[in-house]
Amino acid sequence: MDMWRAIFLIVSLGILTLDAIAQTPQELVQDAISKQQAGDLEGAVREYRQFLKMHPEAAGVRSNLGAALAGLGQFAEAITEYKVALKQAPATPGLRLNLALAYYKTGRISDAAAKLVKVHEDSPENNQAILLLGDCYLRMGQNKDVIRLLRPEHQKNPDDMAIVYLLGTALIRDHQVDEGQALVDRILRNGESAEARFMLGSAKMEASDFAGAREELAKAIALNPNLPGVHVLYAQTLQITAGPEEAQKEFKAELAIDSYNYMANLQMGAMLRQDQKFDEAKQYLTRALETRPGDFAVRYQLAAIALSEGKVDEARSELESIVKESPQFTEAHVSLSLAYFRLKRPADGNREKSIVEKLTAEAQAKQPGVKAQ
Amino acid sequence: MTISRREWLWLAGACGATHLWARQGVSTPPEPLFAEVPASASGIEWVHDNAMSANHYLPETLGPGCAFLDFDNDGWMDIFLVNSGPSDFWKPPKPVRNALYKNNRDGTFTDVTEKAGVAGASFGMGVAVGDYENDGWPDIFVTAYGKCTLYKNNQDGTFTDVTEKAGVATPGWTTSAVWFDYDNDGLLDLFVCSFVDYSGEHKFECGDNRIGKKYYCIPRVFRPTASFLYHNNGDGTFTEVSKGTDIAKALGKGLGVVATDINNDGRMDMFVANDTVQNFLFVNRGPGPNRRWKWEEIALQAGVGFSESGQARSGMGVDASDLDNDGWQDMLVANVDHEMFSVYENNKDETFRDVAQANEVAQATRLLSGWGLKYFDYDNDGAVDLILANGHPDDMINEYSMQVKYKEPLLLFHQGDDHRLHNVSDQAGPAFKRFFPARGLAVGDYDNDGALDVLIGNNGGAPLLLSNHAGKGNNWLGLRLEGVHCNRDGVGAKICWTAGGKKRYRLKNNGGSYLSSHDPREVLGIGSALKIDELEIQWPGPGKQIDKLTNLPINRYVHVMEGKGILR
Repeated sequence: MDMWRAIFLIVSLGILTLDAIAQTPQELVQDAISKQQAGDLEGAVREYRQFLKMHPEAAGVRSNLGAALAGLGQFAEAITEYKVALKQAPATPGLRLNLALAYYKTGRISDAAAKLVKVHEDSPENNQAILLLGDCYLRMGQNKDVIRLLRPEHQKNPDDMAIVYLLGTALIRDHQVDEGQALVDRILRNGESAEARFMLGSAKMEASDFAGAREELAKAIALNPNLPGVHVLYAQTLQITAGPEEAQKEFKAELAIDSYNYMANLQMGAMLRQDQKFDEAKQYLTRALETRPGDFAVRYQLAAIALSEGKVDEARSELESIVKESPQFTEAHVSLSLAYFRLKRPADGNREKSIVEKLTAEAQAKQPGVKAQ
Repeated sequence: MTISRREWLWLAGACGATHLWARQGVSTPPEPLFAEVPASASGIEWVHDNAMSANHYLPETLGPGCAFLDFDNDGWMDIFLVNSGPSDFWKPPKPVRNALYKNNRDGTFTDVTEKAGVAGASFGMGVAVGDYENDGWPDIFVTAYGKCTLYKNNQDGTFTDVTEKAGVATPGWTTSAVWFDYDNDGLLDLFVCSFVDYSGEHKFECGDNRIGKKYYCIPRVFRPTASFLYHNNGDGTFTEVSKGTDIAKALGKGLGVVATDINNDGRMDMFVANDTVQNFLFVNRGPGPNRRWKWEEIALQAGVGFSESGQARSGMGVDASDLDNDGWQDMLVANVDHEMFSVYENNKDETFRDVAQANEVAQATRLLSGWGLKYFDYDNDGAVDLILANGHPDDMINEYSMQVKYKEPLLLFHQGDDHRLHNVSDQAGPAFKRFFPARGLAVGDYDNDGALDVLIGNNGGAPLLLSNHAGKGNNWLGLRLEGVHCNRDGVGAKICWTAGGKKRYRLKNNGGSYLSSHDPREVLGIGSALKIDELEIQWPGPGKQIDKLTNLPINRYVHVMEGKGILR
């Protein structure tokens, strides 16, 4: 089976907690389960809800309702039901994994990861949870966590290509190119594949061989245009080697596959902000923030838009929060200084300006041409 | 409604005129707005030697600058071109020299470099022309990687190197420079941009070992430096006066500078474009305690130091002008590809806002790297237009970029009735369909027809001379200003003229563009108006004389002297 299909089938189907049904053997529930299994999800949802009006404490049934809602793509409602069920019966098998899956599908990757960590702690052998958690870490840019999680798994299952793929990608992104390259070779030995080209493209990006990366990624897309993340990386090569129109086209292609892709949403937002299309930019950035709540880069983009739109106090407030949490974020200090000056607070503006100068000088001192002298 | 010649040409080209030509059996296309003057026609055979080496030393990719100047005071613009030269990383295999071309007044030029004594002997970068002695003869300051040079005009077609004697032997790597009178004492002072610290016997090299090629280092990797301000002592010497001021404190990587007055206080300020660090806006606050001049660096709070993303960009070319004719100076800075250029509109409170998007400049420059540039009224309709000279600094960019190229097109923008700049490069002529490794750019009217021509210095190539055919249909008045109490070049003069019911403003800035120096005369476009109703010149200090002139001729140059009006 295609390694990505393996990961995403887990995500698409969810897990029915049929065990719970035996504890509530009522006709209504049995019919609802039959409907759910037959694919009549709307009918199942209707009957589960009818039952839960009478027995709101039935956590297993509520979990099934969540699965049916998830099957209908109503993830927000599914999450609500799963959370109530989990509160009622925290030990129900599969429930936490289902909630994680629903978070994953709505782009709330950090929430999904948090739940998957618990699932993995409780069931260390659950391969589905391991793969999904690895993918969540990768999407959050936590490459070292991917490596920590999957390196032992790879030793146990060296032929699991999904693990090889995730681990290899994380290694390359973590600048451990040699080890990553060895895993790329594993995939290449299995013949031409989109995954292999994707990993080669990643490795070339790491080596600043942008033209080479662009070539590999174009091949990956030709082999499998639905490979998650491939359009984002291709778009990033196009940002460097071509123009914004080409890059935006690829970011949008990624979002057509995964509307919650963090990087695609962030980059689209940033590019549209640069074009002063603020309303459009905010839509993408808001979605990126849903994927990574509290993310500095996204919040900074939103604050910069507020500053450009003349909402200076709103921008100031957000920027103050950002620099407090991330004091080395030079751009945020620049914008905060500007906000203070616009608010006629020159003392604060000058204080931030001094921080900008200090950070700039520190960064400059680390430059190779300076060190060489 | 009045239609400028440029608009007429465009309309004619777009619709009716084609039919007219066909009917008349004429197949001649419309005259381009700017026509390239080949070396065979101009006699300008000089070619820039960029000293390009396998090691890719950074100074190789930055030159050359160029200038229009009337060195022999015959009323015709001559041309000066800066070349590379011997340095600590390059020994030219054959002689390399600057070039001074005398205008023969017939569209051709004669090389008089050797006789003039301005061949140079260092790795030249840029040129700034100004009459620092107020003797009526333009002097030449050449910046360089290595030894910069001040050439004093001997008033007989020759120059003398007075660098050491004058006290302007600036160390390090200097780029753009500008003459202006910051303290309004009637004498031109000199500001010299300093680029990065490229000292050291062994030059740091940037390269990709995997493919075995070296490329030009991004200036980010080198240490920034402070620029220099020289005060004119009035006796042929200068004193460096930046110590203790924001100018000395502001460590930058200066490439472009324009002297202008951003707050209309009558004191000239400076906007400096820096590469990979923030730009600087030095506001002239006048004399401070202990008679030390006070400069305040306000680029960040003014909104011109960083991009709107809070990032320092690769500022290169820079200029200022009253783009929207509101009496306040607006600014412009060119950056490297993917950063877009900025058009800064003056908010009249020492802050600016970037209106490059609304002026079509942002979109047009997204993939370009800009160096030489100039706000100027190329068609004499009275509104400020813009020309941009571009080229990527990395000669190997073609190997890894699909769209960004080493040689790039020129861009021409025309200001429409909507007071916005519109990209008219497609209509500007064949030269605008070609690609150049352009660097310096100067504007000047070399054929004295009132239409400002353009000179572009190409890295490692021949210069490009563009003859302006766009301004001929509109009327104009050219001013050669002569200060009496103020600096003789009249830098800092405020000009206001009314014609055809429209009032226009012009500040005689100095500097602007990149490594280059422009025709010192001011051409005032009046469109289809047949006369100038009133002309007011507010001369800079110390006199601050205001001259109001009427009964003015049109379509010719006049010599205006401070307090005396037009000299007949």
